[in-house]
Amino acid sequence: MSLHVVNISDMKFSDQPEDVIVTYSLGSCLGVTVYDPEAGIGGMIHCLLPTASSARDKARTNPFMFVNTGVAMMVRKLMDAGAIKHRLVFKAAGGANMRNDNLFNTGARNFESLEKLLARNGIDLTASDVGGTIPRTVFLHLDTGRVVVRSLGEEKEL
Amino acid sequence: MSRREEILAKVAKVVAIPSCVQKALALLNDPDADLGELARIIEHDPGLTVNLLKIVNASFFGGNRPMSTAREAIVRLGTAQVLQFVISTGVAPSFVHKIEGYDLAPNMHLQHSVTVAMAARELGDVLGVKTPDHAFTAGLVSGVGKILLGAYVQVNVHPILTLALEEGLSFDQAEDQVLGINHAELGGMVLDNWGLPRELTDVVRYHLRPDEFDGEDLTLDLVHIGNVLAKMIGVGLGVDGLNYEVSKKVAERLNLTPAILDTVSANVVEGLGEVWDLFMECAEDSCKI
Repeated sequence: MSLHVVNISDMKFSDQPEDVIVTYSLGSCLGVTVYDPEAGIGGMIHCLLPTASSARDKARTNPFMFVNTGVAMMVRKLMDAGAIKHRLVFKAAGGANMRNDNLFNTGARNFESLEKLLARNGIDLTASDVGGTIPRTVFLHLDTGRVVVRSLGEEKEL
Repeated sequence: MSRREEILAKVAKVVAIPSCVQKALALLNDPDADLGELARIIEHDPGLTVNLLKIVNASFFGGNRPMSTAREAIVRLGTAQVLQFVISTGVAPSFVHKIEGYDLAPNMHLQHSVTVAMAARELGDVLGVKTPDHAFTAGLVSGVGKILLGAYVQVNVHPILTLALEEGLSFDQAEDQVLGINHAELGGMVLDNWGLPRELTDVVRYHLRPDEFDGEDLTLDLVHIGNVLAKMIGVGLGVDGLNYEVSKKVAERLNLTPAILDTVSANVVEGLGEVWDLFMECAEDSCKI
């Protein structure tokens, strides 16, 4: 098995069934996994912010920093590698917020940005584990497309 | 003896904060070591910074004015021998693989501390305010109480976490109830006893609850939000996660908007790439904390 680590503002994908993709320590950031069960291709992105509106120059240098540009780019990369759009299964985790935060809501804004993007493309989100104040680590197993979220020492499948 | 008194008695015996010193030690053993590189390592390591400031402020090095940044202290000392002493004090007292109580690997605490420091400084830059020189250092050492509680008191985090989740308390409120003290207050008190200047120790003490500080302090405001940003960005999160309050008063004083925070976050994440080599040096298998 090889483990591919997705850093902040980063994306990894694979078509090797023995591979596992992981991203650690999601705070307000949003982790999104996409998997094509027939082609066995899957990817994961770790987005810092909802859109590039506050950091336009960075959308060019690192589109994976933002939900709207990053998820779209991940889907394109998977399709280039042989995935078919209508078969893709989308799952999301992360998007936590500071306690009682109604000032910045970065986590909630990240998730909204994903919902908008998917709605615009007529895609359903299959599962999600978002919000609250807890940190999360997410695994994508390429053999089955299984997505596992680990938080506070406990694991659950999405 | 109450739990609070017990904790204070234990940390009163602590003489130095453990730190990630692998790379610093390697540099010191090299006769051609670059003092600038050594300074860079110390400036990004909470343990080394605190130990250095303790020594320079303790006695004959200090002069009239207390020192509150690692850079100032390094310039004042300037010799490899003294820095060697500082570094060796950091390794001696305790070898722990992780901050047990807080479920933090050593490199995670380092990453989080550096991110708080960078976020505090970057926030000042984006806001266009004159950021005090010690803002970076204050951010870097703000979480030092966690090292103390984890490495020396071996606090069991589970009752704290359970209480926070069940009663809907913030993590520091839950610490107060279980331990009789929270990690911010403890860190501030210890650094105060070590003779570090108030401009640093007040920030450490109040960085989670700036509204309890008597007065206004720009560094405190920047570090409070820097800590919030580091937690939202998610670098080196422990089990306490994002379970802390954001001060509305500070947000108003700084005229913060989501757009400002987004810009700062993006800049900080980009800047983290430049110090990533330091984090790698402090990976769990190569460093005792």
